[in-house]
Amino acid sequence: MGTRSYLLSKVMQAVFTLLFILVFNFFLFRVLPGDPARILARDRGLPKEAVDELRADFGLTKPLPQQFLIYMQDTVTGNFGISFAFRVPVVDKIQERVWPTVLLVGVSTIASTIIGLLIGIYGGWRRGSGFDVGSLGFSLVMYSMPEFWLGILLLIALAAGAGLFPAVFPTGGIETPNADLTGGAKIADVINHLFLPGLTLTVAFLGEYALIMRSSLLDVMGEDYVTTARAKGLREALVLRRHVVPNAMLPTVTLTALNLGFVISGAITVETVFSWPGLGLLSLEAVDANDFPLLQGLFLLFSIAIVISNLTADVIYSYLDPRVRGA
Amino acid sequence: MSKVIRRGIGTGVALLLIGLLLAPAAFGQDSGEDKKVIYTLGSDNDVDSMNPFIGVEAPAYFMYGLNYDSLIGYSQEDLSPVPRLAESWETSEDGKAWTFNIRQGMKWSDGEDLDANDVAYTYQRVLDEKQGCCIDYISLIDNIEVPDDYTVVMTTRKPTTQLLQGFPYILPEHVWSKISEKEAKTFENYPDPVTSGPFHLSEWQKGQFFTMEANPDYYAGAPKIDAITYRVFNNEDAAVQALKAGELDFIDGLSANAFTTLQNQEGIGTHEANIPSFDEIGMNTGADDVIPDSDGHPALKDPIVRQAMSHAVDKEVVADRVLRGYGTVGETIVPPFSAAYHYEPPEEDVYEFDLDLANQMLEDAGYVDTDDDGVREMPGGGRPLEFRYYTRSEDNGTSKTAQFVSSWFEDIGIATNVEALTDTKLTNVIFEGNYDIFHWGWFPDPDPDFILSIFTCSQRPPGGIWSDSFYCDEEYDQMYAEQKTVADAEERATIVKEMQKQIYEAAPYIVLYYDANLQAYSTNWTGFKTQPAGDGDLLSGYGTYTFLSLEQKSASASNSGTARGIPAGLWIAIVVGLVAIALVVMFVRRRVGEEDRA
Repeated sequence: MGTRSYLLSKVMQAVFTLLFILVFNFFLFRVLPGDPARILARDRGLPKEAVDELRADFGLTKPLPQQFLIYMQDTVTGNFGISFAFRVPVVDKIQERVWPTVLLVGVSTIASTIIGLLIGIYGGWRRGSGFDVGSLGFSLVMYSMPEFWLGILLLIALAAGAGLFPAVFPTGGIETPNADLTGGAKIADVINHLFLPGLTLTVAFLGEYALIMRSSLLDVMGEDYVTTARAKGLREALVLRRHVVPNAMLPTVTLTALNLGFVISGAITVETVFSWPGLGLLSLEAVDANDFPLLQGLFLLFSIAIVISNLTADVIYSYLDPRVRGA
Repeated sequence: MSKVIRRGIGTGVALLLIGLLLAPAAFGQDSGEDKKVIYTLGSDNDVDSMNPFIGVEAPAYFMYGLNYDSLIGYSQEDLSPVPRLAESWETSEDGKAWTFNIRQGMKWSDGEDLDANDVAYTYQRVLDEKQGCCIDYISLIDNIEVPDDYTVVMTTRKPTTQLLQGFPYILPEHVWSKISEKEAKTFENYPDPVTSGPFHLSEWQKGQFFTMEANPDYYAGAPKIDAITYRVFNNEDAAVQALKAGELDFIDGLSANAFTTLQNQEGIGTHEANIPSFDEIGMNTGADDVIPDSDGHPALKDPIVRQAMSHAVDKEVVADRVLRGYGTVGETIVPPFSAAYHYEPPEEDVYEFDLDLANQMLEDAGYVDTDDDGVREMPGGGRPLEFRYYTRSEDNGTSKTAQFVSSWFEDIGIATNVEALTDTKLTNVIFEGNYDIFHWGWFPDPDPDFILSIFTCSQRPPGGIWSDSFYCDEEYDQMYAEQKTVADAEERATIVKEMQKQIYEAAPYIVLYYDANLQAYSTNWTGFKTQPAGDGDLLSGYGTYTFLSLEQKSASASNSGTARGIPAGLWIAIVVGLVAIALVVMFVRRRVGEEDRA
């Protein structure tokens, strides 16, 4: 099978997955218990006529097949509807929240990938050394620790100040209200707000990268071609750089590409701990309100991101390891 | 080699130092200027919309209440009706014609005059479009007239006292008349809303915070602070830390846990505010009357079973263990907050906690345990008294309560299957009548009308929506209609109390407790006006009193609006320093590698 047909089949797979998601997306949120109009009305004594009117406005009185047709038509034409809870176009609401999430999860994914891989390589290469044992323990603990708990610990230590820790960083949000900052000071303000949630996510993610890189490295180190490289008299550093690392990278490429897909869906728990106004938090609010259009929009966006990153991983993979193309 | 490392680290350190020197320059904008006096509050929820016809969340009502005025206000002392936009009012002999005299010389934030036409316009629009925000308060209005720019006359179909409430908020006709009914459903009313209240929404970073600036021309006097900022904290721990760090001046709705840790902290005060709120165990008193295929337990149709269950709940223990003492034992459905309307049953009528009595009542009524499994059966043997008991997964306290309550019920031979449901799911099973008992709560208006309405026959689903006990009684319905149309407030209170007495005796609800709103505040501010006076809400939730009188004691003690964290220059220095050190290390390693090869 040639490169072109391999790529074509992968793209077709991605397209079919997306179509399936599009259909699934519609029914998933309609089997959720509860009536959105009633939930919206719960906070105030709406008369029955007003609730019925809400229901009609939301298009919930139409038969399901008709709702489905309208949904498909709207989605294809890029109309994601009006959020039930906020009454603004779903697209606007998502746009408002997407950048904080990309900033937070993007920065932490990149930082944790780089640091995690370096730790994994260094530890694996010096297997059994003090660094390896220490970093392995650290990675395992961080990998298994709930993110929100780590977040709260960091928050209490570095935002409120506890014991030896100074109260340096802000407790939540993405900027200081009413500070009227401009230029460099404004950027620094965002970085200061980003620091604690970013650190939490970086530490929480890097364990996974370090562990996978380390075990993959150990596998490769036992291969014949590594022995051959050493037999040729290559320096250890070169054996590592030219023969071990490139081959050990394969599983981490998949992991990184997939995780990049999750960048967009945010980190619900950490966004909640630090009141970070991102998409994770928005999804939570949308679930609370049974906000179908907003949930559909978010879910579709998240799915597209994952499908595309999957596709990217497949493509990169085929270049790194030509064998998969023939498989 | 050592020389190179030393030089590299030296460079890194030097860059760090330069950064430190540059830092004040990059951060300079913050110092020197007159700092605005801003009061900062924290909340766990954002405003959903600035359009009063759309918003439902509590923060939205907080926002409307400070940006707009109503015709009538609630007094600070006891929430009785007081003038707001209406300077005074008269009613006709028959209680059907209401004349409101509107204050003169008032302006909207865009400079236009605010007069009787705006009032009439807003009321008419709410009536015409049946706007959910406020139709309930004014639905009896038949006709509205504006004889001159400062007088509004409203005629009601029946005599009533209902118009004397703080809703709806008056909106500017010159803005809203350009917005059709359809457009109003998505109209954001931001940026640049045209407002009349003591504060004006100036900035709203959705999902993060909003700031409202003081209106210096407010009719009741300019606020003493420059602005209010309302920040969203999705996590209580973070909000508590922010209060301690001076980023926030006020938080409320605290958990008992957080509240306790904030007591005896220097610079922080705590307050248990009396609010109109209660929690209840609701019972399905017969949904199958209106929903034939619903499956509520038949035993709960019998008032004796419900009364026996009321005797089997030790409310003191629940208030003490679940609320940790922050709140009071509850009895009737109009909370003591609405002092004029609250009915307190006399001692001899109160359901004493008495398991023996409860057992006796069930035994006498024929609910006997015939098969000796510890659970009573319906009279004549048959279906055991085994109830589904739903708690809320959104509220931990309900599950804690269930641990106590279910063991008491067990002691009187009633088995329960406790299950926590999400609010949406619980709403659904109640609406379909497929439940036995559940634990939830209400936050009624200061006026008792709404909370009384939920026990009327017409509110039962599927025709109605608000009944969650399926209680229905003709006499009660008559009293409900009557209290709505009595022009004399005292006479109305008598009827309202009689209605509560009936509900208390019929026991479709076991009202467990009236919870308090736990508030914590920075002691750097004075001027709190509790509403109602004494133990009420520090922020006077049904008025603008606190925010008109709030004053800062010391400007230097406030952290609001001050950016915390590491200054820009230092960040640059750290990054440059780290890069420099990394470059040097790499360079050195390469050198070492070359030496090895040689």
